[in-house]
Amino acid sequence: MNTPGAAAKAAIRRINAVDHLLDAFITVTPARAMAEARMVEARLAEGGAPGLLAGVPYALKDIYDTAGIRTTCHSKLREEHVPAADCHVAERLRLAGALLVGKTGTHEFAIGGPSFDLPFPPPRNPWNREHVPGGSSSGSAAAVASGMVRFAMGSDTGGSIRHPAAYCGVVGLKPSYGRVSRRGVFPLAWSMDHCGPLAATVRDAALALQVVAGHDPLDPGSAEVAVGDYLSHLEAGVAGLRIGIPRGWFAAQPGADPEALTAIDHTADVLREAGARVEDVALPDYALFSAAGRVILHAEAFAVHRNALRTRPQDYGRVAFQRLALGATLTAADLLQAQRKRRELTDAVNTQLARYDALLTANVLIPAPRFDTQPDAMASGAPVQMIQFNLTGHPALALPTGLHSNGLPLGVQLAGRRFDEATLLRIGRAVERNSGWEQCPRPPLYQA
Amino acid sequence: MNAEFDTLMARAGIAIPDDRRPALLAAFVDLRAALALLEDAEAEPAHVFRPDPLGGG
Repeated sequence: MNTPGAAAKAAIRRINAVDHLLDAFITVTPARAMAEARMVEARLAEGGAPGLLAGVPYALKDIYDTAGIRTTCHSKLREEHVPAADCHVAERLRLAGALLVGKTGTHEFAIGGPSFDLPFPPPRNPWNREHVPGGSSSGSAAAVASGMVRFAMGSDTGGSIRHPAAYCGVVGLKPSYGRVSRRGVFPLAWSMDHCGPLAATVRDAALALQVVAGHDPLDPGSAEVAVGDYLSHLEAGVAGLRIGIPRGWFAAQPGADPEALTAIDHTADVLREAGARVEDVALPDYALFSAAGRVILHAEAFAVHRNALRTRPQDYGRVAFQRLALGATLTAADLLQAQRKRRELTDAVNTQLARYDALLTANVLIPAPRFDTQPDAMASGAPVQMIQFNLTGHPALALPTGLHSNGLPLGVQLAGRRFDEATLLRIGRAVERNSGWEQCPRPPLYQA
Repeated sequence: MNAEFDTLMARAGIAIPDDRRPALLAAFVDLRAALALLEDAEAEPAHVFRPDPLGGG
């Protein structure tokens, strides 16, 4: 039997052997992992319940506070920051028996990257190290894709779980707004921030969500909504479910790779063959979601960073500085227009999700690009479409479905009704089982 | 656009290094274009705005 202690040691050995090629981790935490393993072993020796994630090694994006372990936000501004207490998510995972093996690299403050002018190198894509892993939860995705951990926690304000999940070929779940507490997680934009898992499989994502979901009165955005059962119905299939495709969002997206569009059609066929009813639906233009989302994100992020941008501008990397300072150009009227549009667009999505169990749409519309092609700015018109569900708060799931002819992963995005992650995961599992993804090769560095 | 950008940055107290200005100015122009999509308030029914941005969903 693989004891928790043995599992922790094996994970640390694997990280030490592989991570110099990927830079997924900023800090490896063997002492913490072994201490948590001993807690699980003691609990088992006393005849206690082991916990849903007993002995499972995992990682946290390095914006999640960890007691006594530095939490850097991948930035010079917090290079030596050592929190006194764990974030809420780490507390829950410890109680469930999970073993924290390290803190993963991110775009600086979850917005500025990938960058080479920071205290730590950017994580690399396990499928091809010359290509970006996506971001901002870059290291979490790379750690899962390479098999260093089964799951890792990320954060998602404009796609930062789903974007790296897509580029690295792993499952990424942005839960409903308010489903998972953000207490002790460094904010990017308060009304758009979500915490969620990146995982090797839909089942592992469901397991992680089952543990971290729930109301936290100390996070003002946390929702008092009962936690669902994310595991019991995973294999129930999709017969009789209705899936809408907002094809107008992505069909004519400039820069979209034809193979990425084909992956969406393939997934629709998979769902139909499994018994779902799949139809095109109309929603307002994606450009409206993107515009409102970007305005709110930049305004809130600037509010978080305003003082440091004034007093320590030289300590930000170039990309983070440029993206964060942009919020200084927004006015109160701009923010109000975006908030007004936010309500209108949220109502439109809710209307469709009253008729459909889920939406099937694009996530990223290209495979992972090379590092040397990355823009500094978050420009409109880029072939990525994720911010709409940060704006509206609906849960969204990034799923790999196959490989591009260049050997890099392709995938899709599913979104569901607020707080109905159970149905979303069930549909995701049906896609995972039937799309052919499970038969695809894994990255060269992968080891289970 | 250049003057508006400089005024807004000065008002916010943010000093922009010369080597970072061109990219930031381009992003500002792009964001202004996005904002233009949102400015249709007169066409909206009054009930669309609620203080809670997400409501009960």
